[in-house]
Amino acid sequence: MRTPLYEEHVLLRARIVDFHGWDLPVWYTGIVEEHLATRRNAGLFDISHMGELFVSGPDVTASLEHVLTITVADLKRSQAKYALLLNHEGGIIDDLLVYCIDPGAMYLLCVNASNTEKDHAWLRSQLRGQVTIEDRSPQTVMLALQGPASQSIVKQVLDLDLDKIGYFHFREMVTAYGELLVSRTGYTGSDGVEIFMPAEQATALWRAFLGHGSTPCGLGARDTLRLEMGYPLHGNDIDESTTPIEAGLHFAVDMHKPFFIGKSRLEEQIRSGVDRRLVGLIMIEKGIPRGGFICRREDRTVGRVTSGSISPILHTGIALAYVDSAIGIGDEVEVMIRSQPVRARTVKPPFVAPAVRKHAGGD
Amino acid sequence: MGIPEDLKYTKDHEWGRIEGSLMRVGITDYAQSELGDVVFVELKAKGTRLKAGETFGTVESVKAVSDLYAPVSGVITETNPELEQSPELVNQDCYGAAWMIVIAMDDPSEAGRLMDAAAYARFVASEAR
Repeated sequence: MRTPLYEEHVLLRARIVDFHGWDLPVWYTGIVEEHLATRRNAGLFDISHMGELFVSGPDVTASLEHVLTITVADLKRSQAKYALLLNHEGGIIDDLLVYCIDPGAMYLLCVNASNTEKDHAWLRSQLRGQVTIEDRSPQTVMLALQGPASQSIVKQVLDLDLDKIGYFHFREMVTAYGELLVSRTGYTGSDGVEIFMPAEQATALWRAFLGHGSTPCGLGARDTLRLEMGYPLHGNDIDESTTPIEAGLHFAVDMHKPFFIGKSRLEEQIRSGVDRRLVGLIMIEKGIPRGGFICRREDRTVGRVTSGSISPILHTGIALAYVDSAIGIGDEVEVMIRSQPVRARTVKPPFVAPAVRKHAGGD
Repeated sequence: MGIPEDLKYTKDHEWGRIEGSLMRVGITDYAQSELGDVVFVELKAKGTRLKAGETFGTVESVKAVSDLYAPVSGVITETNPELEQSPELVNQDCYGAAWMIVIAMDDPSEAGRLMDAAAYARFVASEAR
């Protein structure tokens, strides 16, 4: 599959890779350059592969409370929140953002591309009462503009003052580029926006953002940027065999809710503890930990890396790994890199301080 | 994609420059562009004996890691000390400053089995397809 911006990527001589069936740019000029452009200036990402499920109807709130880990009723109009979809065993079917478009009436769930159909099917089977789910992924373009210069670029291109939109809030607006949903969110840890829009005028907006000084960035930089923040990637760091307790995603779970699917398993894990948990690893010695590499301590296997790379900011190998709960933060482990033990230390992510604006805006 | 006329090439995308009985070895422009930003180059030590096709090290980019294969048999007489500190040279000057090792060839005629520039250009075109 190709996004409506595919031809733009080809024009920019992007290196295209297959990502869960999508032909997407992995980089244009290079991962490090694009990573640093995002941290220091602004990076522009085509993330149209992400799934957009619109859920609406009179019973939507109660229904979503049943399947999501957050209290949906607490969301105010134009607020977005990170949430999880769990199976009955507490495993993570997907992680997503819930956008409250009309409280009690309509919500947008932005889900991982490769999980869209699975999520849709799960929701159809679990939602109760009068609820409609509409998958608008095919006709929706999603752009992410991330980095400290995003604010001035958005001001110039869309005449929108981002100071008026709080972190994890959004605004719907009609512009020369069509109807946009502009959200103060992102997957990089740098300040910026994510924009949902119809495909028709996406090329024009893409070019306008580039024309105002943003750098086109591929999936490669998207991955190193999120890894520096310790944000998990579904399919790598979290999946149906891992729970939010193991993955350290407590903040995305409201245990005060009377019920949500998977809750009893989480209660049990909170009560009796978990055998493993997701931690950050930072290499002490030279080497790049990669997904699947084994962690050892005193000649015993104590964990496994789920994603890893080199941090373009720290110039050091960093990773997320599940390790035995007995291993504390700050402890040393060895990552087996091509049969060689290489020393690393466990840390609590982020690896690099985030630069998102936490203050609430005017909305 | 640069493919200098005066070099020999392997199917693993190494190049070799014949300098008398020695061969200077690196990776090609195609190889560096496929890897992307190179962040580590690890080379076997001077004095290591290699058979053609054996690994003489690894090159690692942000995205991937790849073994390096000796184009010919012989002994490593030199390794490039610059690459330890400046692995990005592989992206910037793969046929020049980013040479990796020099091999004293056991049998200089072995180099005749490697591809010339025209053959390598055809090989790359078929790989890229």
